[in-house]
Amino acid sequence: VILIGELALWVALLMAAWTGVTSCAGGALGREDLVTSGRRGLYATTAMVVLASLGLWTALLTHDFSLKYVASNTSANMPKVYVFAAFWGGQAGSLLFWTLILALFSAGAIWSARTKARELAPWACGTLAMILVFFIAVVCFKANPYDRLSFVPADGRGMNPQLQNPGMAIHPPNLYLGYVATSIPFAFAIAALVTRRLDAEWLSIVRRWSLLSWFFLTIGITLGMWWAYVELGWSGYWAWDPVENASLLPWLTGTAFLHSIMIQEKRGMLRKWNVTLVVTTFLLAIFGTFITRSGIIESVHSFAQSPVGTWFATFFLLATGVTIYFVSTRLKDLEAKAGLESMVSREAAFLYNNLVFVGIAFSVLWGTLFPILSEWVRGSKITVGPPFFNTVNVPLGLLLLALTGIGPLIAWRKASTSNLRRQFAVPAGAGLTVGVVLLALGMRDSYALVAYTLAGFVAATIAQEFQKGISARRSIHGEALPVATVRLIARNRRRYGGYIVHAGIVVLFAAFAGLAFKRDHDVQMRAGDTKELVDPLGHRWRFVSQGISTSETLNRYVTAVGLEVWRDGVRQGIISSEKRQYLDSNKNPLFEPSTEVGIRSSAKMDLYIVLAGVREDTAELRISFNPLVIWVWIGGMIMAVGGLIVMWPQAERRRAPSGYVATLEPARRELAATT
Amino acid sequence: MRRREFLTRSIAGAGSALLGARQLPAQQATPAPGAEQSSGSSNLFDMNQGAAKRVVRPPKTSGVRSALTDDERDALERQLHCQCGCTLDVYVCRTTDFSCQVSPAMHRDVIALVEGGYSAQEIIDAFVDSYGEVALMAPTREGFNWAGYLVPFAALAAGTAALVTVLRRMQQRAARVASTAPATGAGAPSLGTTDELSRLEAAVRRDD
Repeated sequence: VILIGELALWVALLMAAWTGVTSCAGGALGREDLVTSGRRGLYATTAMVVLASLGLWTALLTHDFSLKYVASNTSANMPKVYVFAAFWGGQAGSLLFWTLILALFSAGAIWSARTKARELAPWACGTLAMILVFFIAVVCFKANPYDRLSFVPADGRGMNPQLQNPGMAIHPPNLYLGYVATSIPFAFAIAALVTRRLDAEWLSIVRRWSLLSWFFLTIGITLGMWWAYVELGWSGYWAWDPVENASLLPWLTGTAFLHSIMIQEKRGMLRKWNVTLVVTTFLLAIFGTFITRSGIIESVHSFAQSPVGTWFATFFLLATGVTIYFVSTRLKDLEAKAGLESMVSREAAFLYNNLVFVGIAFSVLWGTLFPILSEWVRGSKITVGPPFFNTVNVPLGLLLLALTGIGPLIAWRKASTSNLRRQFAVPAGAGLTVGVVLLALGMRDSYALVAYTLAGFVAATIAQEFQKGISARRSIHGEALPVATVRLIARNRRRYGGYIVHAGIVVLFAAFAGLAFKRDHDVQMRAGDTKELVDPLGHRWRFVSQGISTSETLNRYVTAVGLEVWRDGVRQGIISSEKRQYLDSNKNPLFEPSTEVGIRSSAKMDLYIVLAGVREDTAELRISFNPLVIWVWIGGMIMAVGGLIVMWPQAERRRAPSGYVATLEPARRELAATT
Repeated sequence: MRRREFLTRSIAGAGSALLGARQLPAQQATPAPGAEQSSGSSNLFDMNQGAAKRVVRPPKTSGVRSALTDDERDALERQLHCQCGCTLDVYVCRTTDFSCQVSPAMHRDVIALVEGGYSAQEIIDAFVDSYGEVALMAPTREGFNWAGYLVPFAALAAGTAALVTVLRRMQQRAARVASTAPATGAGAPSLGTTDELSRLEAAVRRDD
């Protein structure tokens, strides 16, 4: 199987190249036989990539240490789940994993578009095949997981202990799914530009895949934050690290697109802008991968510096050049089909929202690249860390939060003064009330105060929208509250799913603002020592050290300290934090000791205990009180649920086309009938 | 296993993992060489344990008392970037990652400077003198660094100006189309028929 897998990789490269050439030629010449050949070539490429992947999984699970990748990333005594996850744990495997997802997504997208978008499909298939050629070539020539060692070691060196975490087993696949899904809208954008058909089919396909990408990126980013929080032990979840930023960039532009595409659907406007956002999202995903894998920027997550960086840079420049050419030569085809009636309208509000999304994306990109620019201009290195990003992005984030509430309250086309007054009165009052109450309670952090005021405002706008819809259903259909709520969402999933996403955003911002009140304490404790601390909410905590213990389990030695914890005189139990030394199967230490954090979560606050080290009989501990952290994960989950509701396929089938898409529907049906 | 033995083995193991890949290729029972991950580090990056430089200044006056409280010293360390290769500040790194030898060394220098009577700004300046500006968690607000802070806001301002201009043009075009439509009999390009316009209205109302 391993040999077949290795061979399949090379066959896949040839098949992808064949697919690219025949699909584009078929599209250009109008030759159905070439188009069909190209499509079948894509399916064959996918089958070959699947075989290659199964080969690597087989090698990993059978501990074939003759493969350098297997020996570098696994060991015989590693838990099976992490051996399986080692597929994407290293450079070469993760690139093959990326290729696998790309091939599967490409086959799925082309299969579903073969009848619905006949003109676009060949060019989209050709574009996707070209992207596949690039990734398979990188895997074959620069990061081949089938590379062999000159001898067979008895055991591998194991996986980095910080990757041996459930979050890390599922966080990268989600991010890859999100990154790779951006390829499909990009391919269909190129196809639409080539064929000059930026119409209903294009909108439908691109929106669906963009939503899928957004959904997976949201889950991947949230899981990444969770992993960083529970595993890295620095008591935070977002450090503005370049690799974190790389995942945020396509999410930001993708989210902007999911807003602005609504304007194109309803009004036929923003066609140039939407195409730009689609291709930018894909290019940022590639650029992020370049940052992650080239080692050009200092990061805690980067894969080792390797020659794939040059390949990614070349591919990025090539893709950018092709995109610029097609967009610049199709500007007339991208003219808006309708004008803007008022500066105070939902269309305009969505554009302001887009501006802020893109502004944040730019500032994140700018901050990520500024060390390189500074070194180039001044010749000296600088560090651009969280203080910089927070200074620049916190105000922009708050502006975005405000627009999250403002946008949905403004009517399409033109909002009247009475409409604005009616819509804004209650939410604005609610937001101000929250702000005043918190001020009266003694909150003085200005950013946190603004964040909670805006969160109150946006939450009230969402509640108001739900209340109106539910009341209407109850009065018209006489439904009970739960039934009316469920049916309201089910009958207009896009709108109310979107509001649920907004609710997730509100929860996230409220949680982010909670970190303004975080408190850290360094303590040294011997067995039996007691330490008393006060948390930001005024609760008195007592910690009694149970002493230091050591133990040996499957593939590690563990040094642990247990603390008996009391809050306001009530016993909370024992929380332990560990240092782990991972071992190979010969009991030789692997890597340096890693930290396992002791966390006690509650709705109000996390107690976060890190065993920083042990000196003599004394444990050196960092005890942190992190307010509202659990709401970051809950907010992320709410966003994902909202996204799932928005993209649920049934909603598309039930929902009659509306707006600008509706105007194109008769022509589309006529076209379908004649072809 | 006793703790002392555990720590000794940990250090020895880390050392052997660092050196072993190149020195022991013939010993097939050892963990695989040629690994592509960071050598021997439990972190996801190559930790440079030798990155610490001494930042030493003579005490201002003999027997001077520390001018900074522990909280102020910790706040100062949050402005200093650990040089081990992580992206953390000295305070966070030294209190959470026992394997890093750089942040504790930087911390010792900070303590010595505090004990020597130096102010927070003087200590920061001393670190910048030794390490360069890379010792700081964020660029200083001077010279070219201002570009780092201001360009995002300038870009947003420029984007806002451009957006308002584009919106005005779109608004003017819509007004022109609306005013000429009855006279020429030509409606909006794609929403021309009464039926289509009424469908659009209905759709907008439905989704509003």
